[in-house]
Amino acid sequence: MNLADEGAIIERCKRGDREAFASIVQYYMKPAYYLALGYVGKPEDALDLSQDAFVNAFRHIKRFDTSKSFFPWFYSILKNLCMNHLSRRIRRREQSIDQMAEEEGQITIPVETASPEESAVRKDLEVRIGKALSRLRPKDREIIILQHFQDYSYQEIADLLGIPIGTVMSRLYAARGALRRELERSGVSY
Amino acid sequence: MERIAEDVFKPLLMGYLDGELTELEVQRVEEHLQSCSDCRTELEEFRRLKEVTQNMRVFVPDDKYWEEYWSHIYNRLERKIGWILVSMGIILLLSYSLYELVVGVFLKHDIPMVVRIGILALLAGLCTLLVSVLRERLFLARSDKYERIKR
Repeated sequence: MNLADEGAIIERCKRGDREAFASIVQYYMKPAYYLALGYVGKPEDALDLSQDAFVNAFRHIKRFDTSKSFFPWFYSILKNLCMNHLSRRIRRREQSIDQMAEEEGQITIPVETASPEESAVRKDLEVRIGKALSRLRPKDREIIILQHFQDYSYQEIADLLGIPIGTVMSRLYAARGALRRELERSGVSY
Repeated sequence: MERIAEDVFKPLLMGYLDGELTELEVQRVEEHLQSCSDCRTELEEFRRLKEVTQNMRVFVPDDKYWEEYWSHIYNRLERKIGWILVSMGIILLLSYSLYELVVGVFLKHDIPMVVRIGILALLAGLCTLLVSVLRERLFLARSDKYERIKR
């Protein structure tokens, strides 16, 4: 979707056209889910938060400047919701050690292997990589999830996050370096 | 390679690894790799990491959920409108009840003064709390507490 088409659709959304908003949702729902998953780790929470973010975006769509791309604006809403969600989770943990122990590991990024015939060793390695990924900063996780696991091109990532391609490369370099160090720290050899 | 040049150059290794560079940039990277064993080693480590993660996928909900994704949002939008109408109704009815209560209490001379003062204090307290919460909500709506978080 180019900026002009998107701008025209958003103008319709501003007039309360929900069908127009449905087409925006269809276009961006998957990256919204992946990015939320990068923040909160649990698929059901990621789906819920991404939907809430679309609801909030529609409610405040009149504030949106149509000369700009929709997704970076939407992403700031999504990110705030995810941060609030994580803050609540942390507060809950402070309340109860038992709950904290129970919730430990819930921020693990769930990974699936492409081939069901993968060996047990390989699967174990992938689970450990998923856990190492979960321990990265959200900023590092988001770029790795988009590039490594969803195969978005650099241009697509730049458009989604509203950053230049050079920044995509430098952030990928930092994030992959952090993942490598995290794997080394966990004693994972690959 | 000097430190500053290295900082600028190393991110290009990512583009090289993912096949995202222009021909000119590829040529520049390859020329550098011939003379820099550190970068060759680092590139090889990143390549191994990429290989090991290339078959991995984060959990993706099944197609059925994506088909219903919009209807979930539509229902939530509708529910928000419902809540706004319910809230408006409650506020109107409560305001009217409060008005009736205040008028009733202060016009009836048989109600003891202590009860009148108690009700007045209760109402004043509730109004103060309401104004305080509204002011806080308004402040939060105007400012973004995560604005310092950079992408």
